[in-house]
Amino acid sequence: MTLLSADHALEVCQALVDASPADETEVTLQSEEDRFARFSPEGPSQNADRERHELSIRVRLHTEAGWKEARATVGTLEEEDARAALGRAMALAGATPPDPDRLPLAGAVEIPGSAPHRPTQDHSFREKAEWIEAAMSRCAQAELSPAGLARTTVYTRTLINSAGRVAEGALSRAHFSLTASPIDGSGDAGVAEQTHCDVARIDVDEVISRAVDRGARGRNPKPIAAQEYTVVLEPLAVSSLMLFLSYKGLGAEELHFKASPLVGRIGERIFPGDLQLHDDAGYADHPGWRFDGEGTPRSRVALISDGAFGLPVTDARWAQILDLPDTGHSAPQPSSNGPAPENLVLAAGNESIEQLISGVDNGLLISQFHYTNLMEPRDMILTGMTRGGTFQIQGGEVTDPVCNLRFTQSLVEALKQVTGIGRRQEIVGALFDGNIVCPALRLDGFRFTSTTEI
Amino acid sequence: MQAVAQLAVDEALRAGADYADARVQRLSMEELAMRDGSLVGADAPESFGLGVRVLKDGAWGFAAAPGNHKDLAEVAPGLARRAVKTGRDLGRLRRTPVELAPQEGQVGEWHTPVEEDPFRVSLEEKLGLMRQADESMCGRDEIVSRVVNLSLRREEQWQASSDGARLHQVLVRTGAGLAATASAHGVVERRSYPASFSGNQISGGFEVVRAMDLPGNGGRMRDEAADLCSAPLCPEGVRTLILGGSQLCLQIHESVGHPTELDRVLGHEMDLAGASFATRNHLRTLDYGSSCVNLQADSTLSGGLDTRGWDDDCVPSGSWPIVQEGVFKGYQTNREVASAVDEDKSRGCSRAESWYDPPIVRITNLSLQPGNMSFDEMLADTEDGAIFADSVRTWSIDQRRVNFQFTCEVAREIQGGRLGRLLRRPTYQGNTTSFWGSCDAICSAEYFHLWGIATCGKGNPMQVAEMTHGAAPSRFREVQFIQ
Repeated sequence: MTLLSADHALEVCQALVDASPADETEVTLQSEEDRFARFSPEGPSQNADRERHELSIRVRLHTEAGWKEARATVGTLEEEDARAALGRAMALAGATPPDPDRLPLAGAVEIPGSAPHRPTQDHSFREKAEWIEAAMSRCAQAELSPAGLARTTVYTRTLINSAGRVAEGALSRAHFSLTASPIDGSGDAGVAEQTHCDVARIDVDEVISRAVDRGARGRNPKPIAAQEYTVVLEPLAVSSLMLFLSYKGLGAEELHFKASPLVGRIGERIFPGDLQLHDDAGYADHPGWRFDGEGTPRSRVALISDGAFGLPVTDARWAQILDLPDTGHSAPQPSSNGPAPENLVLAAGNESIEQLISGVDNGLLISQFHYTNLMEPRDMILTGMTRGGTFQIQGGEVTDPVCNLRFTQSLVEALKQVTGIGRRQEIVGALFDGNIVCPALRLDGFRFTSTTEI
Repeated sequence: MQAVAQLAVDEALRAGADYADARVQRLSMEELAMRDGSLVGADAPESFGLGVRVLKDGAWGFAAAPGNHKDLAEVAPGLARRAVKTGRDLGRLRRTPVELAPQEGQVGEWHTPVEEDPFRVSLEEKLGLMRQADESMCGRDEIVSRVVNLSLRREEQWQASSDGARLHQVLVRTGAGLAATASAHGVVERRSYPASFSGNQISGGFEVVRAMDLPGNGGRMRDEAADLCSAPLCPEGVRTLILGGSQLCLQIHESVGHPTELDRVLGHEMDLAGASFATRNHLRTLDYGSSCVNLQADSTLSGGLDTRGWDDDCVPSGSWPIVQEGVFKGYQTNREVASAVDEDKSRGCSRAESWYDPPIVRITNLSLQPGNMSFDEMLADTEDGAIFADSVRTWSIDQRRVNFQFTCEVAREIQGGRLGRLLRRPTYQGNTTSFWGSCDAICSAEYFHLWGIATCGKGNPMQVAEMTHGAAPSRFREVQFIQ
């Protein structure tokens, strides 16, 4: 077992702070235990039982012209390796130019306590094999080919600085996903996944049922024209769009550099009033790190409320530059990345998925988007492909599977056109990093620009 | 460290493994980032650990943990036993056991040729060069952000396998780049040199950075970024497109590299990255491109980011055609999947991001072979209204690698056989085989350059790998542009 007790982690970090010759020092120790079994049509294909540490030392040298700072990281806890990393950080900091905009390190804070979830940490490969066996069996019955991931991971993180700041916490994640593709290649796959901080909350049977149902119903899709449609986006599809607000756009740095949808829009009522987006590291079913890269507590921030964009998330530096409160969204410093929201929660509405669908006369039900990417930052123009089950909706009912389509659409404009919000939130991710808590959405006028044959 | 890798293999065999390999790896990096003259990133990460992989009851088991010269020998036996247990716990679910293509045990050393060790160049000199590059982008009011990056990576790996492999490799890669971002008239535009997203990376030493001449190119990027803010949008419609090398790099990567990874074809990546249209029935028959399109995989390519002695299956590097005179000729394989296309040897494309990750099939260096035209001849031979575009701005492709849409940083309209007015946000879309089938001219070897991709994501959990795509500017007919 790699995870250190909280006391041991504090001891390792404090020893380095004490040993540092720098004017200011910050030490972060993150440890991780990860067990995953990945599976494909022939069965389990990659099965890994692994652990690692990241001991990271930030040193700061004060000069009359400003702070000089640098960071070095090492993957072991050996004193010799840690001292070598401290030496590398000192050498780098000594050579850097002073930055007059840097602030002194901040002191003590209160962080809500958290610990690894023991049943999730102890979830075994034999238990993961049971999940996989059930998925393979159900796929075989439906003449579908399975692929997926069963994974449990626990992390601990401790941060100490020479100004007296101490922050510590833990994260736990359990995940199960299934992609079920027609064996004869006659259609796209069905996709479903669940993620939770408690492994017992993963409903394996529901994941399998949803993926198998979509895979089985997706055979022989019919071509459909690329044009504007009313769409019902299931949570996986919503995540591919909304996570771009996490990667880019809602941080203070992008606003300052005018590469953000917030430019000229903060406080302007442009979205439906029930569209509520927060960054919330304290969300009960999906808690994130409760402190940022400098140990500052993460605030719950209203990013979209009352139909308008709110203020951007900040860190200590950008809060000072823009005269805003520090919301606790810093990357580990020094960094070329500005502050960013990492724990997006889109509020639930009051419609079931069936009700969302019933409100569509001629449109599409979309399970997932693939390889979504950002074309333009001010209007958040995105492009990506449908995947994992795309179906026509006619007269308020799901009818035929259709071939996959490419969308090219401004996210800002799309969110203006939300006409329904699902009442069930899910914890879902996309091809790139991160998760979001979100419900299904119904949107008018979603623009598709090309199609494929499957 | 070689003894530690061997110790892990021996212990795995004692614990019942049918096959075992082990990699001890030490990664050292230096990452510097300057923005608007201030150093905003200065990091020197190191990572050292052991990954042990076994086959037990027909299934893979993998275990990994950190360590160093002192304690990895103590860690190795326990890790080996954990890897065997993992395979044993999951083996009963295999429909067919994993079987590896034969490979004689290799013994040897390989080092990236380095003229100037980048880790020995003084920080003062590196920062001085970055400062010059930064200053070269000053001087226009429209510029809101100037960024200069420098990145060094040294990977030392000791490998052993139950087939008798004993390998030691040292891979060094160096990279740098600059980017100017302008904002004016409600428009934000960026220009990057020599390539987008932190510049270009090449296997080699600090000579790579010196050859880039960052300070000599910053002014051009500044002016183009500023001028793009008042340039018209690239028009919609069907036009001839000439792609520059750095954009072709991504075009090759996404529409040829990934679809010809055989594990994708077999469904191993279906859960995240996706599958491929280039299924086995198309091998040696599919018209992937026009007759002038030749794409060669080559893990021996001088300067390639995936240039090494052996892959993580301990298979020696090599070179083979993926597309030859337009016809689909070969896949990228590892020892697990090679037999699926009746090949008796792996192509050596098995790689892990680090000691922490199990190896998977990765794109190796894959280059579009040069043609015989000069760039000026290509322009002179191209009709008015055609578009020259380069430098990736954004990209997207479907999971079968058929339907793609790319946006470049910059375009110029071709008029009178020359590059004409600037156009912003050129966005083209297409279908992989139709697009490559429309290629009718490729510039000669004089215009051929290596472009590195340092952040290729694949796998689940996702791993990052590096590879190089060589290309010279090439012309494609009847390409669809959108806005």
